[in-house]
Amino acid sequence: MAAITAESAPGVLPKNFLRPCLLLLLREQPAHGYELLERLRPLGFERSDPGRLYRALRALEAEGLVRSAWESSDNGPDRRIYELTKAGNLALYDAAQSLVTTHTILDVFLSRYSEFVAIGQERRPAPEPR
Amino acid sequence: MDELEVLRIRDEVLQAMYWMRAEGIAETPTSDELSRFLAITPVTLATYLDRYIEDGLLECAGGFYKLSPSGEESGKRTFADEMADMTKSPHGECAADCQFCQGSPEAAADCMSSCARS
Repeated sequence: MAAITAESAPGVLPKNFLRPCLLLLLREQPAHGYELLERLRPLGFERSDPGRLYRALRALEAEGLVRSAWESSDNGPDRRIYELTKAGNLALYDAAQSLVTTHTILDVFLSRYSEFVAIGQERRPAPEPR
Repeated sequence: MDELEVLRIRDEVLQAMYWMRAEGIAETPTSDELSRFLAITPVTLATYLDRYIEDGLLECAGGFYKLSPSGEESGKRTFADEMADMTKSPHGECAADCQFCQGSPEAAADCMSSCARS
């Protein structure tokens, strides 16, 4: 069971980014836990941590942002299927608004830095001579 | 060992193990895997796991833990019980075609009481 989280991935994700990601995935469609793990990958959670997902879903459910129900399975134990509540939809909207602000600030930072260095080049620039 | 903690952690462990099994993540996790999953230190968790084996809720073979039939039943039941209040649709979260909410004020009141009962 992998235990590497998004924070240790090469790209740094915003703190608590898992929460809005889960709300977004459930806004797209209700899902089981394992499916959510798979669908988190394109959002930067490359090596998933099932325990972290489980705890996040439980917290979201306790806050009324997500609800779940048992779904029968023909070839195994019943599974929980998760879906977004109205409160979760509102929380997702708030999170997206907050990310827009973060995005704007990052754009300013990157724009100013790119006056010195072409961002995304493979090699780090040499230090400026003193 | 605080008996209230034994009960609280018992529910956490059984529910998590049921979820892991149902999602195909781990059928028989080790104590380290469980400890990471629940974010509880391995030393703390080990004491409780031993207790749940004594209580017949878990089985352990070669360091791998498995839910016993009663542990599995308990894990599933308590998971549902714990979230029961959260998983009911409250009044106002009915579908757009709700025959009560979309009818008269009296019908909406009926919906509120039926939501409270569901």
